[in-house]
Amino acid sequence: MTTTELPESLISTLPGHFYTDPQIFALEQAKIFEDMWFCAIRASDVPTPGTFRTVQVGTESIIISRSRRGEVRAFFNICRHRGIRLCMEDAGDVGRAFQCPYHAWTYDLDGKLIAAPNLTRMPDVDRDEYGLKKVHLREWLGYVWVSLADEPPSFEATVLQEVVDRLGELTNLDHYEVQKLAIGRRIVYDVKANWKLIVENFMECYHCATIHPELTEVLPEFADGLAAQFFVNHGAAFGDDIKGFTIDGSEGLDEIPSIDPDQERKYYAITIKPQVFVNMVPDHIIFHRMYPMAADRTIVECDWLYLPSVVEQGKDVTKSVELFDRVNRQDFDACERCQPAMSSRVYRDGGVLVPSEHHIGLFHEWLQSKIQA
Amino acid sequence: MLRICPLAELPAGEALRVDEVSPPIAVFHTDDGEVFAIDDTCTHQDASLADGWLDGCEIECPLHASKFDLRTGEVDAPPAKQGVRTHAVTITDGDIYVTLSDQTPNLPPGVTA
Repeated sequence: MTTTELPESLISTLPGHFYTDPQIFALEQAKIFEDMWFCAIRASDVPTPGTFRTVQVGTESIIISRSRRGEVRAFFNICRHRGIRLCMEDAGDVGRAFQCPYHAWTYDLDGKLIAAPNLTRMPDVDRDEYGLKKVHLREWLGYVWVSLADEPPSFEATVLQEVVDRLGELTNLDHYEVQKLAIGRRIVYDVKANWKLIVENFMECYHCATIHPELTEVLPEFADGLAAQFFVNHGAAFGDDIKGFTIDGSEGLDEIPSIDPDQERKYYAITIKPQVFVNMVPDHIIFHRMYPMAADRTIVECDWLYLPSVVEQGKDVTKSVELFDRVNRQDFDACERCQPAMSSRVYRDGGVLVPSEHHIGLFHEWLQSKIQA
Repeated sequence: MLRICPLAELPAGEALRVDEVSPPIAVFHTDDGEVFAIDDTCTHQDASLADGWLDGCEIECPLHASKFDLRTGEVDAPPAKQGVRTHAVTITDGDIYVTLSDQTPNLPPGVTA
């Protein structure tokens, strides 16, 4: 970065190449996505033994599945014999075992090697030792979080601390009982932008009045450009004539009964680094997970979570979903328009952050300390 | 007659590979409470049927899903073409005993007794 003197109102962003350089992305894969806790799937995505999903975590493909006893398991998607990728699909059901399509090495749903041609003539091959390589996992908020690190960081000091930093205390999120909610809608966005542009976008609201007219209608204070994430435990209040968090301000779905009276008619947002955004409103949770695929491509999977009764009864969530789906598209369009500019000579030293965006500077400091470590 | 183990040590739905004999045998305790013994090695490719999937009186090889009838040893599903030998089972005083068949086993290519 250059040492050009900036006016006091402004601080610098990261240099442009941080958003385009494959070497920077490789460092982020190794030191962030493969080293921290990574929110992989909703536990209900693998409802029964043998159902699985594969997800990209850093450079690795990971299988998340459920054992015969119904416990969630995570493995590297690699046969221990010759390394072939076991599961090629994004999701499916292997039945009772993972079988390598190359030499038929066969692993049970706990990852143990249970059969292979001539295996009985190799009694010295330990079936646990040569089982699928396991990945650390935690279930929280109804999601499966994995860590590829040999020694994962403390979940409490990283993931949970992000919630404490934003909401003051964990109970302010516990009230929503996110783990009990059901998926009313899932939309997957393939965004041609660096993951950090998406994080930065989510952290500030300086853009809200310009690109999110519908959201600003529902949350009028967003017009001042200060995001809910600028403060601690600040909920953005619904407008006076707004009945619910919907595209037209009409009535929402059934309110989550356990929320605090303070949380009614308010919107809260949390960024859980490196790849999760949680949005809380009285009747639903909007839960974003990013899968950074390349320096210029990020897949975002977004779940709209409602009370199970809302989903079971088939209530119409269209107006509810449409509000944040539109916000997402507006945001991701903006990020995609930024991406090509990241390699411009004009952006070589980066851009600037105004005071209502200065907290993004902390994200940049965090990122640099991570990849330099 | 070969003493295998107490019946109580082989729960229903489980199988035991016995490799003190050659070729090794597999003893199954079905969910219906019956006990069967067959040759353990799949006749298609060297794999332990005791590691396979027990469904009623049928065992499915874990490698290529050949199926054998535990009562007759016959092939119920390919790719195996030849059946496995069955061995007579008796339960005496709570212990499982097997009388080995004197027929010639059908072993996969590359495997000898």
